[in-house]
Amino acid sequence: MRRFTTRQVIPGVAVLIVLLIFPLIVQATFPIHVMILVFLFGMLGIGWNIMGGYAGMFSFGQAAFFGLGAYTSSYLSMTFGINPWIGLLAGGLVAAVVAAAIGYPCSSLRGHYFAIASIAFAEIVRVIFNNWKMVGAAEGLSLPMHQESFTNFVFNSSKLPYYYIALVFLLISLIVCYFVATSKMGYYFRAIKESHDVAEVLGVDVVRYRLIAIMISAFMSAVAGTFYAQYILYIDPESVMLLAISVQIVLISMLGGAGSVMGPVIGAAVLIPLAEYTRTMLGYKGTGVDMLIYGFLIMLISMYQPAGVWGLFSRIGRKTR
Amino acid sequence: MRHKYILRVFLGALSSFVLILGLMVSAQAQQKVIKIGAVYPLTGNIASTGIDCRRGVDLAVDIINGKYDLDLPLAKSAGLPNLGGAKIEIVYADTKGDPKNGMSETERLITAEKVVGMIGAYQSSVTKTASQETERLKIPYVCSDSSSPTLTERNFKYFFRVSPHDALFARDQFEFLKDLEKKTGQKAKTVALLYENTEFGSNVGKAEKKYAEEFGYKVVADIAYAANATDVTSEVGKLMNSKPDVLMHAAYITDAILFTKTFKERGFQPKGFLTMAGYIEPGYLPAVKADGNYFIVRSTFALDLAKKKRLVGQVNELFKKKYGIDMSENAARSFMAPFVLADAINRAKSTDPEAIVNALLKTNIPGNQVIYPWKGIKFDPKSHQNIYARGTLVQILNQDYTTVWPFDAAAKPVVWPFPAWKDRK
Amino acid sequence: MSYELLQQLINGLLIGFMYALIAIGLTLIWGVMNIVNFAHGDFLMVGMFTSFWLFTLYGIDPIVSIPICFLILFIVGWGIYRFIVSKVMKGPMLAQVVVTFGVSIFVANLAVYFWTPDFRLLPPTILQGTWNIGNLDLSVPKTVSAFGSIITTILVYLFLKKTRTGKAILATEMDREAALLMGINTERINSLSFGIGLALVGVAGAFLSTYYYIYPQVGSQFGTLAFCIVALGGFGSIGGAFIAGILVGLVQTLGGFFFDPSYKYAIVFAIYLITMWIRPQGLLGW
Repeated sequence: MRRFTTRQVIPGVAVLIVLLIFPLIVQATFPIHVMILVFLFGMLGIGWNIMGGYAGMFSFGQAAFFGLGAYTSSYLSMTFGINPWIGLLAGGLVAAVVAAAIGYPCSSLRGHYFAIASIAFAEIVRVIFNNWKMVGAAEGLSLPMHQESFTNFVFNSSKLPYYYIALVFLLISLIVCYFVATSKMGYYFRAIKESHDVAEVLGVDVVRYRLIAIMISAFMSAVAGTFYAQYILYIDPESVMLLAISVQIVLISMLGGAGSVMGPVIGAAVLIPLAEYTRTMLGYKGTGVDMLIYGFLIMLISMYQPAGVWGLFSRIGRKTR
Repeated sequence: MRHKYILRVFLGALSSFVLILGLMVSAQAQQKVIKIGAVYPLTGNIASTGIDCRRGVDLAVDIINGKYDLDLPLAKSAGLPNLGGAKIEIVYADTKGDPKNGMSETERLITAEKVVGMIGAYQSSVTKTASQETERLKIPYVCSDSSSPTLTERNFKYFFRVSPHDALFARDQFEFLKDLEKKTGQKAKTVALLYENTEFGSNVGKAEKKYAEEFGYKVVADIAYAANATDVTSEVGKLMNSKPDVLMHAAYITDAILFTKTFKERGFQPKGFLTMAGYIEPGYLPAVKADGNYFIVRSTFALDLAKKKRLVGQVNELFKKKYGIDMSENAARSFMAPFVLADAINRAKSTDPEAIVNALLKTNIPGNQVIYPWKGIKFDPKSHQNIYARGTLVQILNQDYTTVWPFDAAAKPVVWPFPAWKDRK
Repeated sequence: MSYELLQQLINGLLIGFMYALIAIGLTLIWGVMNIVNFAHGDFLMVGMFTSFWLFTLYGIDPIVSIPICFLILFIVGWGIYRFIVSKVMKGPMLAQVVVTFGVSIFVANLAVYFWTPDFRLLPPTILQGTWNIGNLDLSVPKTVSAFGSIITTILVYLFLKKTRTGKAILATEMDREAALLMGINTERINSLSFGIGLALVGVAGAFLSTYYYIYPQVGSQFGTLAFCIVALGGFGSIGGAFIAGILVGLVQTLGGFFFDPSYKYAIVFAIYLITMWIRPQGLLGW
């Protein structure tokens, strides 16, 4: 299973080369920004996928971990001067711990119940951060524009470093996901997704593996959060912990193909440019046509191609229930 | 199988379409006019406000580009006279109220559309990120509609604010109370602070607490709430328990409407209501009608200024002709930024950003050329806040906004205390 | 001081009854076909707008327009099931969860497109004013809506328990396969239930429009609360949803009164999560 066929490798390498030279050819900043968002959401989608697509826990609260990562690294950097790269790891840890703390009591929740619990959890986190003076409450945190450098994780003169860092993060996430998916753990996840009870009977420690899935997922989302904070240099609960962000992450993964490694990336590659460009082209006429297209597309995909885009290309046919 | 094939073709076409769009947007734009970028929430939850702001901006551009016999900068000549009559073109971008869009749209407008200046964005959180971009890319940004005090606390080089900020408005409220006591002998001792809990409201609350102490008033309630609450009976209950003389409320339009209804329902009536923002949105009075009477709102603009300043009436006439409605507070605030920026570009005789910034620093627009009761427009050299910006207080009387303070600019005397709910028809 | 507490309690109940009405439609849909209609809040919005336009264009008072709202939303619900949701019933769980999100985004933005994002409020209609009983203030529209909610719930309950169609719905809810074996056309039951579910939230919208402001995104906060209420009450249980709705109304109001109003929703969600931990199937679920 770990050997790749030539058919798989060549397109993959080709795409990678295109991605690497893209920002050098396309000088305009907006397309580069869009690609950065694609990588960011691709990473968030992969994080969700590990929890949802593989282990069957459909979380609509990923924004909470995204926000926790962003806030942890930003707060540490602004208050104690801790380097954002270390803050990145700290953010991931904080998110993982919180994930475990909430995941444990929710470990028997399934399907819709879990989804709703995740929404409730994320909203609680958002309300807390919206009122917590120590982290700026509703005002959010404005990260100072430090001296531009790699160590400081701040780049002012060009987007290129952000682009390549995001791409590297994405590739790392893909590799992690691949290893998870093809490992014994991945099989356990899928067993849990199919049926908790059967998995338990077969000797799988359901609670433990659910927690692991949630923690990995939370860690990844938090890392994405730190990147976002260093990129936009301003975070507040409305922009990093919103339910709409969590929903977008789920939709991206689903569109691309949940339960597959590449799925969320493809989903991000289609939906993010669509959202960004329809907003710039149509949005300002003030009638929300771009969101209409978006909603319509989601419905279509759910109805006619639920395995997502990846399902179209993959050898493995549509999953039967 | 055919199903899959069709879908593949569709997705291939979609991706190519998206890619082509990307390359199109990155293509260089022609420079026949002077382009200014504007970021506003044109869709999304707060779209009605964004569109309102846009109305103000569009009217301003009409006046600048055309020949009007008005006492406004650049109105009497077509376009910018020092640049051969070059016209201003506003390139709009929709932020949807999201700060990250504020950043990316500003960047796109500057790098792809080649705008020479920026205005916008109403929401202070979006203005923050948008102006971070302009600071980074060294493009001037003139803001006349975001009121967070923090925007001018950053001492940015390229950011200028024309309109008053919330701390000034908060101070106004206490100045009013002191003036009222001096003039009518009516005393107020206790205040209750009520504010929605995003950046706007919490900043107002912070400022109000500071000034309450400074002016010697006791704060008996300090309540923050979520703006989109489904019900506010608990908040009003707490207010009623605190029995304040005055309620100071910083709200958006949705909570303004909900609270007004709940105040009436519970019969909550302090001696007076001093409010901000939501109560002066164009949608507020049509929604609450006569229930809005006697609320006092902070304002930068009021139609009755026309009595003392002919320019206000003239501008409102043009506004009504173009849009069929009277000019509102938001439209009036956003109205000024294009003038300030165009005036600076004109004096600089160039579209070079550094020249424009230098011209902005020297801005000295006299009071008779603005539609507000200000001494004029002049920027503080460090913070770039307009030192003459000030607010007024308007009271809703007969479902109309009437200037009541400062007393020497008042169109009618203020009605105080707040008449009982049940005594009204 | 204690009358204020009583006042808060009463208000908590009043808003709770409204929540309950919104929730029972949602729980019916969930119980019958295992779908959480994430667009439920947006159909509440449609109900509110329907009532608004009926009044503004034709002068029909909201109370009178309740049966019209019921009918319109029923047809819409039937259609949504027949043309959209039914297609995902055989698909993977994720598709079933996501499809209603798509509907939600679509419906909300369709409202923006046709009706603009502006805020509307119904002028005082038949229901207006406040009853002052002693020291207590009871908003007329809220109180009438609360009674309306109780009556509607009783009607739904009777429908389900006493009529043939109702019993068929209950049977499908309890055991789909067995119902099929008994000759019940479960697809038809699905359409019917979806239609009734939306019709009920349409009625809630008509009531709500008498005292709340109306705009395209108004459904989102109500919707989020409704999901928690339904999960709290238990999969498919009408009684559970009703009780949970009242509970949430009380927690929200009393929590906001005694603690910090800006945390009131966090308190609601926290109680929800704690209950889920102790009793994952909800209060009255099985």
